[in-house]
Amino acid sequence: MENSIILSVDNLTKTYDNGVEAVKGVSFTVKRGEVFGILGPNGAGKTTTLEMIEGLRTITSGTVILDGINAGENPYKVKERIGIQLQSSAFFQNLRLTELIEMFAALYGCKVDPLALLDDVGLKDRARAMVKQLSGGQKQRFSIATTLVNDPVVVFLDEPTTGLDPQARRNLWDLVGQIRARGTTVVLTTHYMDEAQYLCDRIAIMDDGRIVALDSPSQLIRQLLARGFTPHTEVHAATLEDVFLDLTGKTLRD
Amino acid sequence: MKTLTSFLAMVKASLKMFIRNKGTIVFSLLLPMVMLSVFGFLSGNSGPSIRIGLTNHATSQMAVEFERALVQVGAFSIETLTEAEASDALGKGHIDLHVIVPEKFGVMEDGQPVPEQIETRYNNGKPQGAQIANLVISQIVNSLDRKFTGTTPMLEVRTSGVTVNDLGYFDFVLPGILAMTVMQLGIFSVAFSFVAWKLNGALRRIQATPIHPLQFVLAQAVVRLIVVIMTASVLVGFGAWFFDFHMLGSYFDFALVCIIGALIFLGIGFSIAGWAREETQVAPVANLVQLPMLLLSGIFFPADVFPSWLQSITGYFPLTYVVDAMRMIANEGTSLWQLPGDLLGMSVWMVITYTFAVKLFRWE
Repeated sequence: MENSIILSVDNLTKTYDNGVEAVKGVSFTVKRGEVFGILGPNGAGKTTTLEMIEGLRTITSGTVILDGINAGENPYKVKERIGIQLQSSAFFQNLRLTELIEMFAALYGCKVDPLALLDDVGLKDRARAMVKQLSGGQKQRFSIATTLVNDPVVVFLDEPTTGLDPQARRNLWDLVGQIRARGTTVVLTTHYMDEAQYLCDRIAIMDDGRIVALDSPSQLIRQLLARGFTPHTEVHAATLEDVFLDLTGKTLRD
Repeated sequence: MKTLTSFLAMVKASLKMFIRNKGTIVFSLLLPMVMLSVFGFLSGNSGPSIRIGLTNHATSQMAVEFERALVQVGAFSIETLTEAEASDALGKGHIDLHVIVPEKFGVMEDGQPVPEQIETRYNNGKPQGAQIANLVISQIVNSLDRKFTGTTPMLEVRTSGVTVNDLGYFDFVLPGILAMTVMQLGIFSVAFSFVAWKLNGALRRIQATPIHPLQFVLAQAVVRLIVVIMTASVLVGFGAWFFDFHMLGSYFDFALVCIIGALIFLGIGFSIAGWAREETQVAPVANLVQLPMLLLSGIFFPADVFPSWLQSITGYFPLTYVVDAMRMIANEGTSLWQLPGDLLGMSVWMVITYTFAVKLFRWE
């Protein structure tokens, strides 16, 4: 099964009702078990591409095959196999974390042990809390927990670390590592290059509705240097974030 | 089977979040109960009584009988006062009539009763109650007079009060308050929460799961219907227990009207929720829809006090049909199937509101 294709996207386009072409012919494949990143400036079409794959948005043209299912024809079948974390994922008020997990599991027709799942994302001690009482990092971790209720084959994370402090961000990276260790494929979008470099096996860089580059981070860097690129800042052996984490520690603050 | 399980899980979770919202309990149960209590206490005593201040100077057997006769009149509330106290009370409007029994009233002298007069004083500015009281008092005095002198009356009037179904204002107002609560629950509870869920992405998160979003909408409607039936049971039970509410018709028909009404107002709520793009748009529009009905559909008083041209408009309000059907069932024991006008009106509104809801609804 190793290196078999779990997701293949072929010549995908999206034209909105108002005539805006958000995605203009995107093709790529994701291998089973890899962490695949989609990068690009705001408005590049990352979220629209993801939403078409996830069955959340109608496809204008092109095909998406996920785990052997055509997403355009069977959006509900696809949704059963995947876990989706949305960019702005709010949850219902007045429900405890365990109750929300149980509800989401029931929506997939599954039964899960909510406490075990919350333990996986480090929220066991907040099991009786409501979402509004959680910190930003905890909310994101909870949001990821809800994507795991159906034991998905692919998990989609849309900007999972935006707005988090460095400690929470590192913690979320660990969580993505754990999900990958379960054998689950991860497709994520991010604006942080260090994150993409740390987490992703391969990345696609999108701009203006198209993929402009697709390879492993180190290959992309090598290709750039081969084109004769010289960095305009001097390279330190450590980053400012390393300084920050060295001074404030890696312990989570929430 | 799988669909049913996930649907029930959604209903269960939605019911929890709905009931844990403190505003819900306040608006759907406490507030209507407070209003019912207020109207119950207001209508508890059967109409205002005529307040009489009595100054009795006499001690005769006849004076005692006169006083007893006065006290027996249900419409009077009697207070024994001195002349000075009574004229003060009359001036302040605390009593409607001052009755003075003279010292020699009913006293026999040389085998003959002493001719005497009972004096009554009332406030010229407010003669209504006092004039009625005067008539009653004259009648009492006349009958005492006849008894005393031993004459037989030639002409007499026999009256008897008949209680029909014993219906009072409370029986009228309870269906009104219930209909009002059903309306507010239907319109506000879905409009506010759906717009909030639409904006904060919770609705989108549901769309990311394999259930059809319509199932989610349906689950919300089911939760509201459960709450409506709970509210109706509590209000009717409360009214029957504490204020002697009379349910002459079938409880089933009554509950059915509550559900039909709730569905109509849920349709209005979903229309507003579907149309609104911001939370601030909800309250003004919802109020614009519900206030005219609240004031003109005959919730607290019969709509026939309005001019007929206005009634010809308000008669078509959905709340008018709902409250009329509730009253016909509860107050007159009519079966729902004997109310074709209300049934037709409610059905038409059902079609109208859900056409709007489907046309206006947007998931994002």
